[in-house]
Amino acid sequence: MLKIITRKFLEVFFFIVLITFASFVFVRLAPGDPVLTILNVDELSVSQGQVEQLREDMGFNKPLLVQYGHWLINFVQLDFGASYVTGQPVMEMIMQGLPATLELTLGALIVMLVIAIPLGSLSALYRNSWIDQISRTLSIIGAAVPSFWLGLILIDLFSVRVNWLPSMGKGGLDTVILPSVTLGLAISSVYVRLLRSSLLESLNQEFIRAGRARGLSESRIFFTHAFRHSLPPVITVFGVSIGSLIGGIVVIEVLFAYPGIGKMVVDAIRQRDYPLIQGYILVMAIIVFIVNTCVDLSYRYLNPELKLKERETSR
Amino acid sequence: MNTIKLFLNKKSHILSLLTLFTVIGILGGCGDSTSSSNDGDVEDKHLHFLYNFSTNSLDPHVDTSYVPLRAGITETLVRLDEENLTVEPWLAEDWEGEDGVNWIIHLREDVTFHNGTEMDAEAVKASLERAITENIAMDNALKIDQIEADGHTLEITTSEPFPEFISELVNPNVAIIDVTEDDILNRPIGTGPFVLDTFVQGSRLDLTRYDDYWDGASNLDSVTFSFNEDANARSLALRSGEVDIVYRPEVESLDTLREIDGLQVESTATFRVHQMTMNMQRENLQDVNVRRAIDALIDREDIVDSILLGHGEVAVGPFLPSLPFAPTYEEQPTGSDAAVAYLEEAGYTLEDGTMQKDGEPLTLTLLTYPSRADLPLIAQVFQSDAKQIGIEVDIKQIDIPEEYMASNRDWDIATYSNLTAPRGDAGYYLNATYHPTGALNFSGAEEVELTEIIDELNQTVDYDERAILAEEAAEYVHENVINSFVLHPSTIVAYNENKVDNWVTTRSEYYMITNQLDVK
Repeated sequence: MLKIITRKFLEVFFFIVLITFASFVFVRLAPGDPVLTILNVDELSVSQGQVEQLREDMGFNKPLLVQYGHWLINFVQLDFGASYVTGQPVMEMIMQGLPATLELTLGALIVMLVIAIPLGSLSALYRNSWIDQISRTLSIIGAAVPSFWLGLILIDLFSVRVNWLPSMGKGGLDTVILPSVTLGLAISSVYVRLLRSSLLESLNQEFIRAGRARGLSESRIFFTHAFRHSLPPVITVFGVSIGSLIGGIVVIEVLFAYPGIGKMVVDAIRQRDYPLIQGYILVMAIIVFIVNTCVDLSYRYLNPELKLKERETSR
Repeated sequence: MNTIKLFLNKKSHILSLLTLFTVIGILGGCGDSTSSSNDGDVEDKHLHFLYNFSTNSLDPHVDTSYVPLRAGITETLVRLDEENLTVEPWLAEDWEGEDGVNWIIHLREDVTFHNGTEMDAEAVKASLERAITENIAMDNALKIDQIEADGHTLEITTSEPFPEFISELVNPNVAIIDVTEDDILNRPIGTGPFVLDTFVQGSRLDLTRYDDYWDGASNLDSVTFSFNEDANARSLALRSGEVDIVYRPEVESLDTLREIDGLQVESTATFRVHQMTMNMQRENLQDVNVRRAIDALIDREDIVDSILLGHGEVAVGPFLPSLPFAPTYEEQPTGSDAAVAYLEEAGYTLEDGTMQKDGEPLTLTLLTYPSRADLPLIAQVFQSDAKQIGIEVDIKQIDIPEEYMASNRDWDIATYSNLTAPRGDAGYYLNATYHPTGALNFSGAEEVELTEIIDELNQTVDYDERAILAEEAAEYVHENVINSFVLHPSTIVAYNENKVDNWVTTRSEYYMITNQLDVK
């Protein structure tokens, strides 16, 4: 176990250097720089000379590698810089927005589990029945509907018509429900289908037949054997899709005016606020890495075969 | 086996917790809505305002969302009078500065900050100094060399003759705050009618009335100022009764909103102009008649009606007609016939359905960008109108117009949107757009006569003389069609008219929550 974790830490270091360098280069190769935003050219009279001067002062004329080197040196000293737009330290901004985003992610995951587990299980158990048909139709619809549209429909239903839930903002628990449900519904369709097919495959395994032959009850077979066996592929996909889940949150955060980092980074990209973009990528890379590590470790827990194989190879 | 049981147990825990949370949430939601409607009638006079941009910082000197000023927390030394569109006293009582360099500003003596501290010249000096140190753009815009404070009088020297100085003080980034306070980012202490209670970054501000406000305390007890960047969601929030005033609801939903009993929709033309920037460095466009033809081809009425659904004013020049320095223009022929006549004067003839000169067809490259949704549509309308008289228009989408236009000259015309007199003075726009050194001079104008007018404007302090010069410059631009102006878009605000009293949709878009705002 310890060996795996040390290896993971080495991996993460290279991973971070690689991803921050790539993002650094891409962001700066894109047209536009923050000088126009900083000088507020839309509202204040500025001369071409002043624009050039500031560009030079901020070091944008220097080679990319030099600029990245500066960033890396500061990064090692745990200095992530300050936003060009608000002047606030980047890490402070991210740490203020991150809890809201994580809250929303968690809410969405709970909604997803509540929908996907029963629906996926039922449609595998009662394959080709009406339950299966309905859940398959729902998951196709769910995959096709854009989440912002779904969000607007939910706002219309629950805020405008029956007035049960607030339509936006962040406050008590009631403000988490609509955005979480929107996001959860949007992602659950994938997992309903995945769990169904994975369960079907498990139910066809020999050990299930062996269990039946031993006279185990159907519910026991299903919950203790088939369900557990079907989880690794679902969790693999989950590990891969955590990134896109965080991406999907951006839309939901804007729609529900939920003050997370997704919304923050959209503004940062528009204004070419490099330090904030870079900080966001760094934090996201670390989160994705942690999730993937957890996913890897969970295999060993769910699939004892892996542990056995490791033992054999280490001997 | 045990682990699986544990897993199942955990799952059922999660499920029951979720059910519990949902029930609590729903009950909480119901509780909120009933209590607020009860309180609204009886004691707590509260308004909820929904704005279309969010902010993570309330530092009035840095953040360009201007939320502290808009929410009535901070105020500036001078403000824009919305009726006459001139600069009027606010925290300053009056000012002198005949030479354009040495300015004397007399402050009101009855103003206190929200923490009770008196607003004297020292405090204002410290606030101005912080604004120019923290914000390069403001340092640049104000050109302050030195400030001296004495009682309630400020003596400010600018580093060069700078006649617009007073009007630049309208900028919300020079709002006066108590800079001795610690957390300016989250809790700026201003002089306005409302005190900030809580600020949830990117989400909302809760404000309460400042009882010692110098201009008369508000009738409202509290205000919530929140943000939502999605226009559809804003309209829905108004319809749900969650908010009372909503800034810029979805244009497409306005008819639905109007039909709802008790909702009022207001629209006011702004200082912004959507224009067609002409690239004067292109051979075709060096002929003024070609530029006149392009100008004549723009069907402004149609664009305002079909694209903005009537929420805009047709523009002839850059400045809103109600501004003191906006010239009155003579009506000129427009439409395809007029355009053809101008082109013929420039030596073009219509052959085989295309407009040609010396066998060369007239084709134009038109730049547009998506961040202002109206502009690509205007480009398309123009393209189809030009096609009618045999002009091929290639529309090219770009990302950042300022950057592209400054470094590429491979285009003929460009849709662009500009603020033309955001602080009631023409100096900003004329310098940025028509002076050869201006950062927004994308037409590449180097007109000696025009530059002279602008240079003279930059030396002139007298208000009326400035107006005459600005008018002259605008006339020159019009006469020579250096740019062509399409429309002034409107700001749309929708509100619950059964509840909201004294709401004013300002042209400047600076002043939103005021001490006049009330509930019925």
